[in-house]
Amino acid sequence: MISKVDLAHLAQISKIDLSEEEIEKFPMQLERTIEYIDVLEELSSDDSIDLDLQEIKFDQLRDDLIKNADGERISKNLTEDGYLKGPKMK
Amino acid sequence: MSNLYDLLASEVVDGIKEGLFTTEEYVCSVIKRIEDVESKLHSFISLDSEGAVSSAKLIDRKLREKEKIGPLCGIIVGIKDNISTKNIKTTCASKMLEDYIPPYDATVVRHMKENGAIIMGKLNLDEFGMGSTTEYSRYGPTHNPWNLDYVPGGSSGGCGAAVASGECTVSLGSDTGGSIRCPASFCSVVGLKPTYGKVSRYGLISYANSLEQIGPICRSVKDIVMIMNVISGKDMNDNTTIPSSSITINGKTKKLNVAILKELIDSCDGSVKKTIYSTAEKFKEIGCEYSEISIKNLNYALPSYYTLASAEASSNLSRYDNIRYGFDLPIDDYKWEQYFSTVRKNFGEEVKRRILIGSYVLSSGYYSKYYLKARRLRSLLRLELLTLFKQYDLFIGPTMPILPFKFGEKIDDPIKMYLVDINTVIANLASIPAVSLPVGFSNGLPIGLQMMAAPFEEQKLIDASYALENTINIRRRPNLT
Repeated sequence: MISKVDLAHLAQISKIDLSEEEIEKFPMQLERTIEYIDVLEELSSDDSIDLDLQEIKFDQLRDDLIKNADGERISKNLTEDGYLKGPKMK
Repeated sequence: MSNLYDLLASEVVDGIKEGLFTTEEYVCSVIKRIEDVESKLHSFISLDSEGAVSSAKLIDRKLREKEKIGPLCGIIVGIKDNISTKNIKTTCASKMLEDYIPPYDATVVRHMKENGAIIMGKLNLDEFGMGSTTEYSRYGPTHNPWNLDYVPGGSSGGCGAAVASGECTVSLGSDTGGSIRCPASFCSVVGLKPTYGKVSRYGLISYANSLEQIGPICRSVKDIVMIMNVISGKDMNDNTTIPSSSITINGKTKKLNVAILKELIDSCDGSVKKTIYSTAEKFKEIGCEYSEISIKNLNYALPSYYTLASAEASSNLSRYDNIRYGFDLPIDDYKWEQYFSTVRKNFGEEVKRRILIGSYVLSSGYYSKYYLKARRLRSLLRLELLTLFKQYDLFIGPTMPILPFKFGEKIDDPIKMYLVDINTVIANLASIPAVSLPVGFSNGLPIGLQMMAAPFEEQKLIDASYALENTINIRRRPNLT
């Protein structure tokens, strides 16, 4: 069962504030979703199955390129010294 | 001549090149159409009519000066609002990105423009592509053009409704678990989810990046081919793409071995089942054999899909921290953790639910119970399907297990909503191509046939779709007056 304490923990690790309404509604809805995916337990835990069955090989990386970014949001948040400003840690 | 907004992409290109009408005349006809029906449908999040008219004038001038224009000469395209468009707002139908203007074009958008297409605007979706009705859009839902009281499907619901109603000639959507095929089915248009790796995802705002692909939604199979040949191929900005051969309309279907998936047909509504069986009979008319087969791992597909998609969503959406993207909140007076969680409460309910589930299945203790099991199932399913593709060319079944439904019917019950994706998630899990083709109506509501093929066998899907389209010949335009 997903309790309100569990929900608060999940919200904290997901970095999301929940509204009063969501705190009431979500435990039951999440519980039902988890019950639904619980059927996966029936599957074997056979470690011999290759988890990456894509046929595409991802080994041809392009070279890094240095380009000027024109993202306004980033530049707007830069300090005069060129640092990105964030909230206080403590 | 019929209304210009009614024409298929191939007819628009021919008409402009033969001088039957100008690009500007065609664009103005589509704009007039949007003015007439948009208040009923709400397909668009943002419109760029002025930009479309200037692009049209430019194309007309180039044509007069005998300059070369690409194969999509003048065609109006609508872009799902989770695909980046330079200088046009791209919101993902989320409050978190309500003011986000991308500084670059997605690769698919660049290809469309370079080949002569005109961007008309950005189309509505469920927030970040999470949903099957557009009811989770923060800008309000899109309505189904065949019956305004019904959902258009999702998440690319704006694409389905706009193309079906003539608000644009073609559109680009994205498909993570059925988001192209579901609205294609509910709005009676053609939608193709390509093989994973065929079309670049560069500029597609990620939700579950191991599952999603960009693809076309159009009114004819021929138009799908035109768009696919422009957007497919290797892209250095998306390392999962590979070079691919072009697709053609050849009119002759080789004899294909077609299998109806028993699990999909057994669980669908009566009226849908009836239409799918009568379409299966049409395969005989086009010279194909069909039989019915069962797939062992299908029962686990949807739970695996929601486990993987939520896990990837919780990771992908962690970037919305208000420093690089997000809601505009000054940082002063806030502590580190509190700042991010305050900003991120602006996600909609469904997005929050999926992030929370994603965090849950990735937590220690649950990771091997859910996430790893889902990954294993994904591999088993793909292996099973690839083995069967040695014997069969196509798997067919209903795209959606039910007819389009009314607004509000499933919105309060996430599991009920998830269950409508049960037939479509298979292709995303197995990374194979799948198409939804309109094949009939029941009580005035559209029914789509889904066909799936082996990886990179889009040509087989197109051959069968084109032959069936010519055999079935269904009504194409909803009555919106």
